[in-house]
Amino acid sequence: MTSLLSLRARLLIGAVLWTVGLLVLSSVALTRVMTVHPRAPIRVHRALEGYLPVVVACACMVIGFLQVRRGLSAVDALRRNLGALHTGEARRLEGAYPSEVQPLVDDLNTLLEQRDRAVERAIAKAGDLAHGLKTPLAVIAHEADRAAAAGAGEVAESVHQQVDRMRRQVDYHLAHARAASGRAAGQQCAVRESVEGLVRALTRLHADRQLTIDVSVDRALLVQGRREDIDEMLGNILDNACRFARSRVAVAAASFDNVAVVTIDDDGPGLDPALRAAVLQRGVRADESGPGSGLGLAIVRNLVELYGATIALSASPLGGLRVQLRLST
Amino acid sequence: MRYNGVGTLVRVLIVEDEPTLSRQLSHALGGAGYATDAAADGDRADFLVRTESYDAIVLDLGLPHVDGLTLLAAWRSAGIATPILVLTARSSWHEKVQGIDGGADDYMAKPFRIEEVLARLRALIRRASGHTQALLIAGPVALDPRNGRVTLQDEAVKLTSHEFRVLAYLMHHQDRVVSGGELVEHIYAQDSDRESNTVEVFIGRLRRKLGASFIRTVRGMGYQISP
Repeated sequence: MTSLLSLRARLLIGAVLWTVGLLVLSSVALTRVMTVHPRAPIRVHRALEGYLPVVVACACMVIGFLQVRRGLSAVDALRRNLGALHTGEARRLEGAYPSEVQPLVDDLNTLLEQRDRAVERAIAKAGDLAHGLKTPLAVIAHEADRAAAAGAGEVAESVHQQVDRMRRQVDYHLAHARAASGRAAGQQCAVRESVEGLVRALTRLHADRQLTIDVSVDRALLVQGRREDIDEMLGNILDNACRFARSRVAVAAASFDNVAVVTIDDDGPGLDPALRAAVLQRGVRADESGPGSGLGLAIVRNLVELYGATIALSASPLGGLRVQLRLST
Repeated sequence: MRYNGVGTLVRVLIVEDEPTLSRQLSHALGGAGYATDAAADGDRADFLVRTESYDAIVLDLGLPHVDGLTLLAAWRSAGIATPILVLTARSSWHEKVQGIDGGADDYMAKPFRIEEVLARLRALIRRASGHTQALLIAGPVALDPRNGRVTLQDEAVKLTSHEFRVLAYLMHHQDRVVSGGELVEHIYAQDSDRESNTVEVFIGRLRRKLGASFIRTVRGMGYQISP
């Protein structure tokens, strides 16, 4: 049975019909009483003298109205909480509801938990698949080295290229699956913490080079998103900066109007303006037709799109490339 | 052959559960002059690290029984400072940060180029030892631990890897007598067969190549390079 009438309209119609019924019944009762006891109307008239009955009647109506309103407010709360669920501010429907609504809410919560677990499992499986492929790829790459040593250099180079392409595909899609799972909604990440962790790692990974990485990011700066995804975006950008820098990399961040701008500069050779757009444009699909930029920027660009963020490349005052990432706070 | 700061062969532990990859790594590292041991799970790796002494460890993170990150943290908190190169399928930046913060000295994602593993391992061991090994000289014989070259009166001498290991150990301990057992201990990787009479074979060959009186036998005690 479907109906397009709102709950409010139905309650209103119900209340009006109920009142009409009560009026009819009370006039019928009054008529019967009058025929049996002719003096009754006078007593009733006396009883209804003064303002008290009017006050009582008004109070009853107001309380009745408030009761209905309160009952309906549970539906409004449900709608608000569902909205929070949608934007990711909440993981489940919070609060207590009237007994008619509560079972529905409980069922929804169970469903949400099941969905969350299913997503977690799927992400874990995607991770297992990715990791499971990497070790055989490493074995194949090594076999290619042996082939090269045996004189089949061309074959080996071709195998290496394909292995590299597969690695990039796996990394790209794993990062995408992790970021697109919807788990990012409602989470916040401290940019400074992410940057500091990455700088610790990059200092080790580029230990053979004397790199100075300056960090100027406010500790209180939070952006929306999962730490893992923010790490992945900033990590790839910072790693590029470190790889191309001569000696200096600088990370700075500023925020205004709900937007945080993270700026990464290096003093390397920079990037030709004509190529700037190209390295960002080049996604995995484009990589399939060529060797690809190998800059890891395909992952960054994909995550940036998923996050509704933006990335821009320009010339750095340090002499190299400047990458600016705009994220929501 | 590669030698560490105290003149013994550089020993590297490979912790990798995939047998083919483990074999490939052992082979490649062995070819580059390292003595390698292999562990296929966390428990075995933990046992070896706590009982043997290694110059570097190549560690996979996705291990059966005990996870690599757990091992890493346990070793570091136990004061084991051996340089560790993490070689793993986990390639996200978040995982790299976790690995480095967990105590790894370097972190490489699979698949990798073996030359890069070797280069990074070399850098890791060099940084850990903090100095480069000087030329070892005993009479007319000179041995360069950095490139594995041996010369007799400035003429290059070709030695097999085992002969080189025996000679290098003896030359580094010229001041004392080295027992056959001690030599076996230092020239063989952990799980090779340890037959002390093979040492006599290597000593014999070295005498043929470098002169019969170059290495003297101290009866009942061992060997020493003639003063």
